[in-house]
Amino acid sequence: MNRFLAPLGQPFIRLARGAWRPATLAFLGLLLATSGPAAAQVRGTIFGPGTRSYPVAIAPLKNLSDSSRASDIGIRFADIVGRDLTLAGYFKVLERSAYIEKPETSGYTTETINFDNWSVIGALALVKGGYQLDGDNLTVEVRLFDVYQRKQLTGRRYHGAAQDLRRMAHRFADEIMNQLTGERGPFDSRFAFASTRDGRFKELYTMSPDEGDLQQVTRNQTINLSPAWSPDVRSLLYTSYKRGNPNLYVIDLLSGRETLLSDRPGLNLGGKWSPDGSMIAASVEDNGNAEIVLLDRNGKLLRRLTHNWAIDVSPSWSPDGRQVAFCSNRTGAPQIFVVGVDGGEAQRVTFSGTYNTSPAWSPKGTTIAYVGRVEGGFNLFTVRADGSEIRQLTQDAGNNEDPSWAPDGRYLVFSSSRTGRKKLFITDAAGMSQVQLTHGGGDDTSPAWSRWLE
Amino acid sequence: MGKRLQSVVLLGVVVALVGAGCSSKKKGAGTAPPSGVTEQGLATEGSLEQARRGLPPSGDGGPLKDIHFAFDSYELDEVGRNMLRTNADWLKDHTDSKVEVEGHCDERGTVEYNLALGAKRARAAKEYLVALGITADRLTTISYGEELPLCHEHDEECWQQNRRAHFVVLGE
Repeated sequence: MNRFLAPLGQPFIRLARGAWRPATLAFLGLLLATSGPAAAQVRGTIFGPGTRSYPVAIAPLKNLSDSSRASDIGIRFADIVGRDLTLAGYFKVLERSAYIEKPETSGYTTETINFDNWSVIGALALVKGGYQLDGDNLTVEVRLFDVYQRKQLTGRRYHGAAQDLRRMAHRFADEIMNQLTGERGPFDSRFAFASTRDGRFKELYTMSPDEGDLQQVTRNQTINLSPAWSPDVRSLLYTSYKRGNPNLYVIDLLSGRETLLSDRPGLNLGGKWSPDGSMIAASVEDNGNAEIVLLDRNGKLLRRLTHNWAIDVSPSWSPDGRQVAFCSNRTGAPQIFVVGVDGGEAQRVTFSGTYNTSPAWSPKGTTIAYVGRVEGGFNLFTVRADGSEIRQLTQDAGNNEDPSWAPDGRYLVFSSSRTGRKKLFITDAAGMSQVQLTHGGGDDTSPAWSRWLE
Repeated sequence: MGKRLQSVVLLGVVVALVGAGCSSKKKGAGTAPPSGVTEQGLATEGSLEQARRGLPPSGDGGPLKDIHFAFDSYELDEVGRNMLRTNADWLKDHTDSKVEVEGHCDERGTVEYNLALGAKRARAAKEYLVALGITADRLTTISYGEELPLCHEHDEECWQQNRRAHFVVLGE
């Protein structure tokens, strides 16, 4: 049953249009292999993130174009896939200089690859493929092989514009993780964050997980805070002081069209769409006191979830949309609580530590990440929603704040001052693999990891 | 106390005179101050407006003095309450002026929690001024959380300066 060797030439399957760029992104893809989510099919054991133990070789794509026009597409594809797999923490991406087979003089099918050239450098898995650039039309065909068993595990053909190369690479990295770890990777996604990289004010940006395709979203030279993605990854919800009062706004990233969602006097803060996109939880000020409320998509008040003299901020939805975690200092110092969206009494989740904020509920539903203050420093923790199994993810590495979960629930993005200025980092849910994501000047804060782009 | 009050009023006049030389967009009160010196251009800018013009947030340069708070607290201590009494006296002498109370925090802790904490600080200062007889509709509040620090070092001396309620005279 050679199910990984489905013939090429099947009709293209049209995939959903990317949400983060205008209509140029007509993205076509072809599933060459028909395997569903699978357990690891390769030889050797894949240990968890942080081990970086599973050796993978990622060959630059072969240029199949007729013209001899020089192009770095094949190398860029390999670079992005390699970076994603490095962020993932499971893999050791083998140095390209050690590769014996050169892409331009070798094939990328089971029959035409000399697997000895790859097993001798220690690769257990191999990525090889080719591309064709015709005007602005880019076709990428790429396959993942088990080097020891000399067989193809999966193959994909992507067709799009030249600028879609990045997304093709992220998609294939996600598919490699699907094949080798049994779960799709989280890299065909976007990050939103606040940054002072362009001046003294916090403006909002979005970018690809490889730190590329940076797009500035706000440019108002006031204070812009707490970006949150819509479930369809088309819009951002955020707080801005651009009209003086800290109001909630929604910006459609395709059109740039912006609407005012809430301008109640005082704070309008920390807005988060419900998982089905029908409601927004936010923190609004009532006579100097921040309370958690539910708003409809037009900003109309549906329900107040907290009735308390204390500070109530930073709502985060449970993935089933039935509960909201938030931060409250009703017991004297900030702690994490959970309340049902139908109201009722809030339940306290964190009991250790005297300063716990920024809850982020995992899309897998079992875990809440948060920030705790320990001996004057701020670190990431996770706790089960019932208050059990507290785990510290960061320590002795500056202040670590603003956790936001990846769509697969296996990773978190957060801000850390461990290298000086605040920069974004990625960690797996156990804190084993922590990799710096953003570089350069200014402080990068309040990251929000989107859902998958399609 | 009386002496101190006098000096604050005097300082207010000095600030007013200095302020008159600046190009303030907002017109100040044109009333005659107690000392008989002509006074105008009292209005000051909020911290965000100043930041937009490339200026650091103002500390104690205006006629009303900042008050300070402990970490993660919006309680008024005795020094703060005394300062608010002084500020209330100034406001009683300048009945046409309106004031925006800004709540600020140090950099430690979460952006959103600090915004809510700043709102509590501004509210606590406002409520004390109201208790001292200042009408509530002369006082608005806004929180800037940890976004507009006075001081940028990462130590307690600096944090202490940043945990403040700041008073901006808006004019009439």
